[in-house]
Amino acid sequence: MIETFFANGTLDTPAAFLTSLIIGILFGVALEQAGFGSSRRLSGIFYFRDMTVLKVMFTAVVVAMLGICYARAFGWVTMENLYSLHTFYGAQIVGGLIFGAGFVMAGWCPGTGAVGMASGKVDALVFLLGGAVGSILYNEVSPVLGWLTSADRGVVFAYDSLGVSRAVFVFSFTVIAVGCFWGAEYVERKGQGRGEHLGTPFLKAFSVILVVGAFGLLAVPEAPLVASSGSSAVLQEAGVLTGLEAGSDHMEPWELADRLLAGDRSMVLVDIRTPGEFAKFHIRSALNIAVTALPDLLAPHKNNGLIVLYSNGMTHPAQVRDSLFRLGFGNVCFLTDGLKGFLDACLKPVSLRAEPVSPVLAVKINAWRAFFLAPVLAGETTAAAAATVPDLGSLTLPGMVETQWLNMNMGTPGVKIVDLRPQAEYNAGHIPGSMSLNLESLRGLVNGLPSTLLPAVMLAEHFSMMGVRPTDLVVLVCTDKRQDGTLVGMACERLRHGNYALLRGGFSKWVAEKHALDTILPSIEPFQYPVPDRPETFTVTAKEVLAAMGRPGTVILDVRPGDYFTGKKQDEARGGHIPGAINRPFNEDVTKTDTYTEIKSVDALESAYGKLIPTKKTPLIVHCRTGHQASQTFFILVRLLGYTDVSWYDAGWTEWAARPEFPVAKP
Amino acid sequence: MTEKTTHEIKAEKGGMNPYYAGVLLGATLLFSYLILGAGLGASSGIARVGAQAALLFSPARTLASDYFGSWGPHPLRYYLAFMLAGVFFGGLISALLAGRWDFSVERGGKCPPGKRLLLALVGGVLAGFASRLANGCTSGQALSGSALLLTGSLLFLIFLFAGGYAVAWFVRRQWDD
Repeated sequence: MIETFFANGTLDTPAAFLTSLIIGILFGVALEQAGFGSSRRLSGIFYFRDMTVLKVMFTAVVVAMLGICYARAFGWVTMENLYSLHTFYGAQIVGGLIFGAGFVMAGWCPGTGAVGMASGKVDALVFLLGGAVGSILYNEVSPVLGWLTSADRGVVFAYDSLGVSRAVFVFSFTVIAVGCFWGAEYVERKGQGRGEHLGTPFLKAFSVILVVGAFGLLAVPEAPLVASSGSSAVLQEAGVLTGLEAGSDHMEPWELADRLLAGDRSMVLVDIRTPGEFAKFHIRSALNIAVTALPDLLAPHKNNGLIVLYSNGMTHPAQVRDSLFRLGFGNVCFLTDGLKGFLDACLKPVSLRAEPVSPVLAVKINAWRAFFLAPVLAGETTAAAAATVPDLGSLTLPGMVETQWLNMNMGTPGVKIVDLRPQAEYNAGHIPGSMSLNLESLRGLVNGLPSTLLPAVMLAEHFSMMGVRPTDLVVLVCTDKRQDGTLVGMACERLRHGNYALLRGGFSKWVAEKHALDTILPSIEPFQYPVPDRPETFTVTAKEVLAAMGRPGTVILDVRPGDYFTGKKQDEARGGHIPGAINRPFNEDVTKTDTYTEIKSVDALESAYGKLIPTKKTPLIVHCRTGHQASQTFFILVRLLGYTDVSWYDAGWTEWAARPEFPVAKP
Repeated sequence: MTEKTTHEIKAEKGGMNPYYAGVLLGATLLFSYLILGAGLGASSGIARVGAQAALLFSPARTLASDYFGSWGPHPLRYYLAFMLAGVFFGGLISALLAGRWDFSVERGGKCPPGKRLLLALVGGVLAGFASRLANGCTSGQALSGSALLLTGSLLFLIFLFAGGYAVAWFVRRQWDD
C-alpha cells in the first residue's frame, strides 16, 4: 500500500510542495510537448481544425484511469487514499458551460495558459491575469451562489450514477475514447487534409493496447483483479477468486435476516455508509465503521466468526471485502444487493409485492418487519453485535449524553463509563459499572512543560489499562467542573477516539434523578488500544502562538477569568495576556440549576461566540493557564458549535508568563 | 490539399505525436495520484495568486471573506500553487529546448492584437470564475476527476465542450488569416 501525502494528511508540508513542483514540471513538459503552448492549436478543436486536444486529453484520461484501476487491483492504493472531488451538479454544469465559453474565447485554460506564458505568448499572460481577476470576482459573489454550491453530493462515481459496474464503465469509456481518436483523425483528414495517423499501424496498435488494457479489468467484474505473473499477490488473488466462485463472498438478504432474528452471535454486521445515512436507517445491530478504520476496528474479529459488510449497493462493499481479504481477513462477506436489496427482499410489506408470496414467506416477512422496523429498545442485547458495540445511531458524537440514555445503556459492554470525581467519592457510591479515573494521571511534565496532556502513546496505554476499545463509547462523568470531562475529551481527541460524550448534568443530576448507584468495582478486560498513526494537529506550541499573533484573521481566545486577563490578579511570573488576545472566561459558558451546573444551551453559546468571532472557519487558538479550562471552550466551539479551525495552546499562561522573551499586554 | 499557413507549420514542427504526449500526461497524472494522493491542478494556483493579491490590498476584508478567508493568511503555501509554478518551468524548459519560444500575441493574421488580448482577458475572467464555481478546471476536473470516473467531473467535461462549441462561432474571426 502506498502511503500518499493525502492519506497522511501531509499535503501542506514542504516535502509535498517540492513533490508538487516536480510533478508540475512534468505536467508542463507534457503540455508543451503536446503543442499546448499555442492557443491557435488549443482552440482548433472547437472548429474541427485541429483535434490534438481531444487526442491528448482522452489518451491521458484513459491511461490514468486504467493505471488507477490496476493500482487498486494490486492493492497499491484505495480510493480513500486519493483526494476525490465532490460532485455538485449545479456548480459543475454551470461552471463547465462558463468555463468552455472562456476557453474558446481565450484559446487557453489555466494549465496551458501557464505553458503559453512560458512560451512567450502575451495573450497567455493576459489570460492568466484575467483568471486571477475572475477568482477574486468569485470570492466577492460566492455568498450569493449558495443555491449552486450548497448541494454537495459527496464523492459520486459515474458508474454508480449510471447503475453499471465499474469494469463495464471503464471498458465502454475506453472503447468510446478509441472511437473518438479515429473520428478525430477522420475529421482532420476530411477538413484539413491531415489526420496523419488515420488507419496507420501505429493507431491500430495503440487502440488495441488500450482496449485490451480495459478488457483486463472487465475479466473480473466488480472486483477488478488481475493476477500479476509471479507476484506474491497471486495466491491472495486466487483466494479471492475461489471465494467468488464458491459464492462465499456474499450473503443473501433472507439469510442475514434469519440469522439476526435468531440472535446469531458469531456474526458482526458492519454498515460502511456515512454516519448520516446510518443515522437515518440501518439494519438492526449493525455497526457503523468508516472504511479506513475497518482493518483496525475489525482486528478482534479477524478470521473469527463472520464479518458481514453492507452499503446501499454491492460495488463498494465488494471492493472493501477484497481489500480486507488482502490484509488477511478470510471471513468477510457482503450483503447481496446491499441495503436496497435487503429492504426489498425482507422488509417490503406483503401487500405491496407484485410477485405471489407463499404463506410461509408471508409469516417470515411479518416477523422480519416486526424485528427490523421496531424502534430499538435501549439496552437490548439480543443481537450479536449489539453486545459488543452500543447503538450510537441516536447520538451526536463527540457530544453529550442524557442521564436517561445512560440509565438504559449502562449495561452494554461497549459503553465505558469513566468517573472523574475524587476517589473517596467514587468509593462511597458510583454509577454501576463505572471506572474511577484521576484525570491528573493523563497529564504531566512533557518537554519541560508542567501539566500538559500526555503524548498519544502514553494515553493509549492508559486506555488499554481501562479496557477501552476504539469502538467503545466513553461516557465521562464529573462533578460540576465540566472542564474535567472535556480534558479527558482532549485525550480522546488526541487518540482520535471520536466516540466520547459528557454526561449531561454529571453525577449531581444522576443522583438527583435517583438512578441506581453501587460500590462494586467493574471487571475490566484489558485491550491493546492502538496508537493513531496520524498525530493530531489541534495542539499548538508557544512558537505557533507567537507566529499567529501577528497574523491578521487568527483569533487568540483567553478563557481565564477576567481579573487574570487584565492582570489585576496574577499567580504566575507575569500578569496580563497575550497581545491581541480576547477574553471569554470559561465560566460564562456554564449555567447553574438548583441541582447541577451544565454547559449553556447551544443557542445561547452560538449567539455569544457569534459576536466574538467573525466566522466558524476563523482560525482560533484557545488557551487558559494549564489547558484545563480551555479544553471546555475547545469542546464547546468544535464539538457543540461546529467551529472548524480551533487550536489548543495546552501549555498556556503557565509557559507564556514564565518565558520573558514573549510579549505580554496589560490594558 | 489546402496550403498550410506558417502558423500551422510552426505548430507541427517538432510537436510530439499527440498520443505519446497523452500517455506522458496520463502517466504524470497517475504518478501524481500515487504519490501525492491528489490529481493535477492549475486553476487553484491562479486563484491563490488572486487571493494573495487581494490580501495585499485589503487583508482584513479578504480574511473575513467566505471563500478566500478559508485559505488563511498564506494562500500560496498550498501544493497546487507549487504545481502551477512547476507547470511554468516545465513549459519553459520544453519550449526552449524545442525552439518554440516565441514572444508574440498569438492570433489570426487579420485580427488586431488589441482585440485578441481583450478576448484573452475576458476569457480569463470567465475561466477563472468558472473554475472556482466548479472547483477545478480542465486539469483538476476534466482530466484528474474524470480519471477517477467522478460524475461531477465528467459532467464538467461534457458541459465545457457544450459551452465552448456554443460560443466558438462568435469568436472565430480572431483566427482568420
